[in-house]
Amino acid sequence: MPADDIAIVGWGQTPSVASTDLTEPQLCLAAVNDALAMANIDRHAIGFTCSGSCDYLSGGPFVFISNLEAAGAWPPISESHVEMDGAWALYEAWVRIQHGDIDFALVYGSGKSSPSDPALLFPQQLDPYYLEPLGLDPASLMGMQARALLDSGTATERDFAAVAARSRRAGAANPKAQTLPNGAGESDLDIDALLAAPYVRAPLRAHDLAPAADGAAAVVLATPAKARELTDHPVFIRGIDHRLEPHQPGVRDLADSPSTRLAAQKAGLGANGGGVGVAELYATSSAQELILRAALGLGPDVSVNPSGGALCSDPVMATGLVRIIEAAQRVADGTTRRAVAHAVNGQVLQHNLVCVLEGER
Amino acid sequence: MTEQHDDRHVVTTTLEFPYRRSLGPVIGGFARALAEERIVGVRTQAGDVLVPPTEHDPRTGESVRDGFVDVGPAGEVQSWTWVSEPTERHPIRRPFAFALIRLDGADTALVHAVDAEAIEVMRTGLRVVPMWRAERTGRITDIECFVPAGLEG
Amino acid sequence: MTTEKGSASAADEPMVVDDFVALTYHDRLPPETVRFADGLIAGRIIGQRCPQCRRVYVGGKGFCAMCVVVMGPESEIDVADVGVVTGYTIITPVRYYGQTKTEPFVYASVLLDGASSVLGGQEITGIAIDAVREGLRVRAVWKPPEARNYEGHSTRGWGSLAGGIVGFEWTGEPDVPREQYKEFAV
Repeated sequence: MPADDIAIVGWGQTPSVASTDLTEPQLCLAAVNDALAMANIDRHAIGFTCSGSCDYLSGGPFVFISNLEAAGAWPPISESHVEMDGAWALYEAWVRIQHGDIDFALVYGSGKSSPSDPALLFPQQLDPYYLEPLGLDPASLMGMQARALLDSGTATERDFAAVAARSRRAGAANPKAQTLPNGAGESDLDIDALLAAPYVRAPLRAHDLAPAADGAAAVVLATPAKARELTDHPVFIRGIDHRLEPHQPGVRDLADSPSTRLAAQKAGLGANGGGVGVAELYATSSAQELILRAALGLGPDVSVNPSGGALCSDPVMATGLVRIIEAAQRVADGTTRRAVAHAVNGQVLQHNLVCVLEGER
Repeated sequence: MTEQHDDRHVVTTTLEFPYRRSLGPVIGGFARALAEERIVGVRTQAGDVLVPPTEHDPRTGESVRDGFVDVGPAGEVQSWTWVSEPTERHPIRRPFAFALIRLDGADTALVHAVDAEAIEVMRTGLRVVPMWRAERTGRITDIECFVPAGLEG
Repeated sequence: MTTEKGSASAADEPMVVDDFVALTYHDRLPPETVRFADGLIAGRIIGQRCPQCRRVYVGGKGFCAMCVVVMGPESEIDVADVGVVTGYTIITPVRYYGQTKTEPFVYASVLLDGASSVLGGQEITGIAIDAVREGLRVRAVWKPPEARNYEGHSTRGWGSLAGGIVGFEWTGEPDVPREQYKEFAV
């Protein structure tokens, strides 16, 4: 049975900042209320709510239950939660709305990274036998992945810096993104300046690595009929899929992303980027953007991460959902008729989601 | 456990989780071998040797064959990164490399630290050998680190 | 991180390892909690009143979870430091990691006069633990002003009184009829 083209009719995101003193429920409240206001529906019209967050990111047991208060859980609502990026919450809501008995679904993702040091916290997401005891941090994994890409002969450190420069320039124009240094230029001189910085995890420098942030994002999904009632410019999800690779990095080819390629195929992206004008990719390193571009077959004509992407702001657990929002925004405002959004979970592109968005045919 | 800061608007909390885990036959076998200063892998139905061993072939989901295969102890760096400022959780407290190391006789790579003294020493294809701790308890950290072959001892 | 000694050679025995995980977080207290904490140090218990449903939350979260509307400083009022026990349990400590108590103790929910939300996990003094009951009138036992601090506040919960109040004691007054608090009883 072919899936219905569910529409995105509202979205909201908090500014993502290095550190906020607002609680995670307060961040969710702001994003959810903005999404509902944009959709122009009452929260009681929502038939299903799904959220994505990670309790140990901010160290609060059952933070996701507190977050639910921000969605308005009284009278009792039908809801679910994934301990994953909000993009996977959107996937679950997309499946749920296909049942045909509800008109609207609410999705949100949220995270506060500021209370802890990701380099000390994230080894805990790895297996407790072989990887976690080494204190293996995300940046070190990304460094080994970037080296594998260099060794494959398809990219250079200068290519990495060019990705970072382009991302920062784009991010400087995005009020929701963090303001980073070297945000203005992508000339050879600007790239030389980036390459003069010391390595953090060679061959990666600070500008090659996504800065973890605090933030939340929310999306309202609607059936096609309700979407056309609410807006003249609905954004439709033409396809969405996610695929997973093994946990152990030593059994994977880190310089490639076969799971992204397969998810894109299953989502109906089509060959050579499928004619998208915009791609929003959740790359937590500049090298990962190059790997993802290749896996999706994106050519030089595709605008990649016009929002600045995760290399400007990585509100962990919301970042993937933000990619879908940013892509939807560019379809809604007419920048492109067709866009692709990508989200990631796990370490070094272990688990990838691809979402194809289009305006009215 | 919560403590107060000079900045009273910042509260530090440490959450503690005392876990006890049963390792099972495959990871347990690997751990026992470490304690005996050996590194072992398992063979998939297709014949590939997985190091570190897992219960299933990641490509097919089939159970691996019974029994263990001795590998290494030397191996070759498949990829690496240089950690210029180690964290408190890292196994080495001075600048070092994390590397994917394919041990001799294995078809997959193991992640471990390489104490190479300087980034210039590191390269893909570098031969490395393990440095064992005197007291071994069946943990991956029974291998203190790997070092470039020829520089051991 | 230790392994049971001697298990490494007994190939048929399951190998068991202990893994001690400690994760540290540095939280900046949210603005509502800072005002609540400063209130306790000043001898006040601050509640947040929802502009829509008029419920008063002690340890306000900055929004009403029922109406999903924001509550800022303008919504804040003082509530009394006397109230009623709406529910309780007597805990007999068992040994587990982190448990410091050894003798049975009372954990009570207290509804302060003027509040619409109960404060859970409060200690009750001035009465034998087997005499603690629903409807008991209790009054906050304040720390001396110089001993008040930011203890107990975090971003993992709301409404800790530990910075200003050590617990509640029976006032000796007659019990409150259940009719008056049943909406908040367990």
